[in-house]
Amino acid sequence: MNRRRWAAALLGVVLLVLTGCGAAEPVPPSEVSAEVPLPAGAVELTEPPEAPPAQDCGDPTASLRPGPLPAPTALPAGSTMARIRADGKLIVGVDQNTYRFGFRNPFSGEIEGFDIDMAKAVARAIFGTDKALQLRIVTSQQRIPALKEGTVHMVIRTMSINCERLADVEFSSVYYQAGQRVLVKKDSGITGIEALRDKRVCATDGSTSLRNIADADSGPVPVQVSDWTDCLVMLQQNQVDAVSTDDVILAGLSAQDPFTEVVGKPFYNEPYGMAMPKGQTDFVRFVNGVIQRMRTDGTWVANYNRWLADLLGRAPAPPVAKYRD
Amino acid sequence: MSAPTVTRQEERDPPGPGRFAELNELARTTPGVLTMLTAALVVVGVLVGVFTAISVQSRATALDDLTTRSGPLSVAAQEIYRSLSDADATATSAFLAGGQEPAEQRARYQDDIAQAESALAVAVAAREPADLTAGSPLATLSAKLSVYTGLVETARANNTQGLPVGAAYQREASNLMRTELLPAASELYDTETAQVSADQDRAAGFPFVEVLLGLVALGVLVAAQVYLRRVSNRVFNVGLMVATGAALVSLVWVLVATLGVMANVDQSRESGSEDVDQLAQARIATLAARADETLTLVARGSGAAFEEDYVKVAERLGGDSGQGGLLDAARSGAISGEVSAHVEAAQRAWQDWQVVHGEIRAADGNGDYTGAVELAIGDAEDGAAARFDEVDAGLREAIGLTTFRFTDEVSQASNAVTGTVIGVILLAALMAAGSVAGIWQRLKEYR
Repeated sequence: MNRRRWAAALLGVVLLVLTGCGAAEPVPPSEVSAEVPLPAGAVELTEPPEAPPAQDCGDPTASLRPGPLPAPTALPAGSTMARIRADGKLIVGVDQNTYRFGFRNPFSGEIEGFDIDMAKAVARAIFGTDKALQLRIVTSQQRIPALKEGTVHMVIRTMSINCERLADVEFSSVYYQAGQRVLVKKDSGITGIEALRDKRVCATDGSTSLRNIADADSGPVPVQVSDWTDCLVMLQQNQVDAVSTDDVILAGLSAQDPFTEVVGKPFYNEPYGMAMPKGQTDFVRFVNGVIQRMRTDGTWVANYNRWLADLLGRAPAPPVAKYRD
Repeated sequence: MSAPTVTRQEERDPPGPGRFAELNELARTTPGVLTMLTAALVVVGVLVGVFTAISVQSRATALDDLTTRSGPLSVAAQEIYRSLSDADATATSAFLAGGQEPAEQRARYQDDIAQAESALAVAVAAREPADLTAGSPLATLSAKLSVYTGLVETARANNTQGLPVGAAYQREASNLMRTELLPAASELYDTETAQVSADQDRAAGFPFVEVLLGLVALGVLVAAQVYLRRVSNRVFNVGLMVATGAALVSLVWVLVATLGVMANVDQSRESGSEDVDQLAQARIATLAARADETLTLVARGSGAAFEEDYVKVAERLGGDSGQGGLLDAARSGAISGEVSAHVEAAQRAWQDWQVVHGEIRAADGNGDYTGAVELAIGDAEDGAAARFDEVDAGLREAIGLTTFRFTDEVSQASNAVTGTVIGVILLAALMAAGSVAGIWQRLKEYR
């Protein structure tokens, strides 16, 4: 080895003399700037999300009037509920990222929250037990496709009722009344949606909040992500200036970061409904019956107090159901 | 003793001015021709010596590169990919378990990161600063590995407080890993294996230059002897014969050494690097399958894309019902019974794992999420985690043994050229000295 080194050195000298090349120039370290990581699927929208054709469906929150609620053992033969009972499981599309509404409890690994307890109530009404409830995580964007493809029986995932969605799915009566507000860092000086000119504002893909941000008069720049917690990540990483969506979701985010606060007045009403596949009117009436029972027997209030009281105060009266027939 | 011959040439040329005229004058006399012949032989000797030595040296350098650079670097690149992929699968599955992060999982993640960083340091140290341009795989890996670990720690900090945003940080980390770090590691591995192959080509090329130079030296020496014989009527000239002998020995030496190198390097390729590459591909696919399996569960129902990827990877790995996949190819290419046994063990574990994977998907599909998670990451002996470890261990052993064969063949090749450079230089010097001595003897006669 040594001899070969020596030979190499000798040759090197010969080569240098022959070719006259000098030593390589030292390279100064080039200037690089940090690249911030992005949540999967995060996109800054250059154009507002496609606006739906203006539709007038009357009052979208008016749902189908429930009949008397049958016992789990006496579901009408041939009904959607009987079919689900025969399948042995109720598959519900839920969220795993909205603190207190549908979130993964890191201690137990279980999905829990207000929406999940609602799903359990529906499962109990069909099976007599919530053991038959199967939760399937869907993103905002996946809610309607999941119902159309039949991969879930229903979606209970902070889903606002509107005319556009009513063209694709059926909605239950309103089970939660939310309003869109703005979440910012405490020292930001931002007071509401009107102060967000040219600021980057985060919302999830496919949510009504995203379109409301794009439509706001102050002209914010909408940034879309897959899940609400991705918005908090981007806010904490200084990649967006604000998050804007329903107050209850914002309260859940704010609870995870004491240096943030929810500001401004609600500038959009977001009535939440449970979504079911188009045409399953028997199921809608049945679910409305379940919700109605929760309104009256105190389950709704208990559920609210269990998950939301420490974020939003004690439970108000449950939203009043409206029916179109 | 013959009378000096009058030169026949240059009769028509008018004597030019200056140095050219002197040379021309010199060329008219036999002693002049002899002096120039000496100079020519010395120059040819030196040039042949230097260029043959350079050529042999570049072969030796290629072999050195194989043992000390490209060989170890391709191993390092493979290690970077493996440890990063395993780190991400481990960190992600720690979230699956819920509750306190198991201590072994944390230790495994930390070991993976330490391993990746150390392998990365090796890979970076082997490069010139100018090679680390922005966007090159090494620059990406160096810049983003720390970002990745930062995100994982943020995820943990949030997770220990029971905050769902922790899972979002973990997803962001995983996204960074899958879209930037792993592709960069894979590109690095491809580059380094291509370099191994290039070094093998460089080390095992037929010695055209050496043979050509050797033949030129011999030709010039024979021509010189023919000329001397004509002008002096002596059949043999000891000096020139020694020189010719030296040139011949040098040529034969280079030829024998090089042919040995070519045989060893071909072996190192056929039963070394190519098999290592095949095994490494299988191992990388195994890791991808495992990551897909856990991520499908983490996504809880919206992980169809991961499961689709799993199916694709599984087909690449196991082929159609165990036939024709990467594992099969690795087994049929095994260089020894021992390697073959390790690959077979990996293959068996893979088939068992496939069965468990089916159970996991069935449990998850039927709503038994907890059962699916337990099957996937629980520490049962017949769980997916244990099966994955078995496949990985089998392939790791096989890679170790095959890499050893590669290094062995290359170091044998290296030994074959040891001393050749020095030998070639000394023989060239001997050739020049012999030529000078031989012609000097004739020249003396003209004093």
